[in-house]
Amino acid sequence: MTTYVLRRLVLMVPVAFLVTIGVFMLIHLTPGDPALILLGEDRSPQAIAAIHQQLGLDKPLYVQYLIWLGHIVHGDLGRSITTHQPVTTAIGERLPATLELGAVALIWSLLVAIPLGTIAAVRRGSLADHLATGLAVGGVSIPNFFIGIVLIFFLSVTLRLFPFGGYVPFNQDPFENLRHVILPAIALGTAGAAINMRFTRSSMIEVLNQDYIRTARAKGAPWRRVVFIHALKNALIPVVTIVGLQIGGIIEGAVVTETVFTWPGVGRLAVESIFNRDYTVVQGIVLLAAFSYLIANLLVDLVYGWLDPRISFT
Amino acid sequence: MRWVAVAVAGLVLVAACGPSGGTSQSGGTPKAGGTATIALESELRTLDPLDSSLLVEREVFYNMYDSLFTIDPSLKITPGLVKSWDVSDPLNLKFTLQSGVKYQDGTAFNAQSVKDNIQRYLTASTSRRKSDLASVSSVEVVDDTHVIFHLKKPDATLLATLVDRAGMMLSMAAVQKGGQNFSLAPVGAGSGPFEFVEWQRNDHLTLKKNPNYWKPGLPYLDGVTYRAIPDVNAILAALKTGDIDIARTIAPKDVAGIKSDSSFIYRDTPAIGFNGFELNTGAPPFNDPAKRQAVALATDRYEILKNINFNIGVVGYGPIPPSSWAFDSTEKIYDHADAAKAKATATGFTFTYKTTSDPINQQLAALLQSELAAAGITMNIQTEEFATYVQECANHQFQACNVNWSGRLDPDGNTYAWWHTKGDFNDSLYSNAQVDAWLEDARVSTDQNKRKQDYLNAQKQIVADAPYVFTVFGVSAQISSNKIHGFTLYPDLMIRMAAVWKG
Repeated sequence: MTTYVLRRLVLMVPVAFLVTIGVFMLIHLTPGDPALILLGEDRSPQAIAAIHQQLGLDKPLYVQYLIWLGHIVHGDLGRSITTHQPVTTAIGERLPATLELGAVALIWSLLVAIPLGTIAAVRRGSLADHLATGLAVGGVSIPNFFIGIVLIFFLSVTLRLFPFGGYVPFNQDPFENLRHVILPAIALGTAGAAINMRFTRSSMIEVLNQDYIRTARAKGAPWRRVVFIHALKNALIPVVTIVGLQIGGIIEGAVVTETVFTWPGVGRLAVESIFNRDYTVVQGIVLLAAFSYLIANLLVDLVYGWLDPRISFT
Repeated sequence: MRWVAVAVAGLVLVAACGPSGGTSQSGGTPKAGGTATIALESELRTLDPLDSSLLVEREVFYNMYDSLFTIDPSLKITPGLVKSWDVSDPLNLKFTLQSGVKYQDGTAFNAQSVKDNIQRYLTASTSRRKSDLASVSSVEVVDDTHVIFHLKKPDATLLATLVDRAGMMLSMAAVQKGGQNFSLAPVGAGSGPFEFVEWQRNDHLTLKKNPNYWKPGLPYLDGVTYRAIPDVNAILAALKTGDIDIARTIAPKDVAGIKSDSSFIYRDTPAIGFNGFELNTGAPPFNDPAKRQAVALATDRYEILKNINFNIGVVGYGPIPPSSWAFDSTEKIYDHADAAKAKATATGFTFTYKTTSDPINQQLAALLQSELAAAGITMNIQTEEFATYVQECANHQFQACNVNWSGRLDPDGNTYAWWHTKGDFNDSLYSNAQVDAWLEDARVSTDQNKRKQDYLNAQKQIVADAPYVFTVFGVSAQISSNKIHGFTLYPDLMIRMAAVWKG
């Protein structure tokens, strides 16, 4: 197993290298000049030239790439073009907020998906099944920014149950922290809940039709025990795959939600940095997003082994 | 941010009605204590005036730092850290400084500090203040409270420039202590009514009362918190939920609702910027003056004011707004739209108009399109992402481009950069030797009447040549909860908090 993990980690290196090229080219080939954005109403040819020189933007693109690559090999992502803050600090400051939002959204999605998916599978064709299916279709098809706006309108502006946006760190006020995270987490997690619910349902139906379930029932095991102990664990394998990808995708999922709820996370930093052509920060965030995918995939593979001991790592 | 975001704000905010300028009435005796939360339309990038380029940054600076000069609501230059001044010799300006002022970190404000600050703005590699101070050759320290600004050439705009960031004085000890992180955490650097506490980027920026502020009794509030809310609808929602107390901008469509709600205060006063769109005189079709004039003639400013700005603001004819001493109230050569006259001037041509995806800009584009169609002019709308659009407009890669200007205190700031042949904002590639001469003369002339005549001449010519089609002058507004008192509206859009109190 250790060899397997090590091999997977080594294989990440060429992938990461390709990612760096992609990231760099994408943002640098996008039209727009950071100097013009930085200077705003204070632009002048001299000031623009000075900024280009400071940022090395006057050098050929491949030279700029090699300089940047040289720095990241040493663990240095550079400094933000707009705020001069080290990129690692800029991302590090916002990562906890994004992770919290992502975690609560994931918990919300699983809390909804697994019970509903299981009930829908066990009572296939019933009213509960149809209702759950209807909710799932809605959850997937309504974009999360719209869910966010609706939540803000009803629960925040009209009923004033929740703040309309913003963030309070957990260590500062745990209660306020929770009050602030609930709406964005629901907005962010609902699509995932719907997908996970459908996966749980179809996978559960498949498992419930298998011979060992019939055997367990024939041996007199109570239905409840068969469903939750025998069936559910095996039915969760495809769900784990999809949840793994969702974890890897927390950052890009949060881009829109964080903007709607003015949540100070990495997603909002990404949006702002793209608009500002803050090359170094965008590059840092995309690298982070790519790595979280790679790591999440690895973790998913490892969890398979725990869920199904027949899977071995060689 | 962004000049256009700013510009949009200019458009968004917009006055005709309501009391103009001045302090808000009523409220009784000022009460100390409490805090206020203010919405900013975008996140800040820096807290150092040295490399600032955003309107929202200036909004914060005015409450943390003091400038050498200040303005009153009628835009008259008034004493700031400079107590009195003698500008009779236009090359050697003599300033007497306030005495006994200390920065928040305890170091003294004095003549040496003025010299050091100006030196820093002029020489630091990341300074964006160099062009502001281009006319200054050196600052001489006479004694602790007297300095002389030696100029390379007369500069009638300098005092107005020193109201803004180039005149903001910082404690050099605090700057040095802050080092590379100074622009993110300028602890104790200003001498203003509030001092820096913390900046949680993308969430909030907190300032606390400066207990040793040199103006007695001020400020009233214990602290001020800024929150960046980059969406006008979200700003309105935050006002209604009480998450914020004061905003500068809401969507024009929401102004009537807020005005009729007694739990809010809405006031506005004419601002200092202009709104409209620039035409590229360096390329077809607008290298033909007749086609530019046809567009200016066919544009219905009153319809724009009514439909886009909900009648908040006034129609605009030229670059200098009614709040300025150089405003020309007679300049109305393109008043009401005149399709017949436009047709007679030039018709049957097509051009592309670049703008951003901002909903208000989109509505404006659609309205213009239909107005111009009535004169037989086909306008195609090209919507672009902000950074792309800025780049193309700045590099003259456009036929028409929707760019607004937040405005400057001195009329020079609303004209020279835009229409002098060598102006930094001359995206239109406009060039007229006479206009250049008037604008240059107004820069160096110390006689205000002569300056005014120069600006009147230049405005007439610019408007007639139509490198830019002026549409609407916006407003500077106060939108706040009715608990906010002592608020003074300034045309420059800045929210100054020293005298504000909460009831």
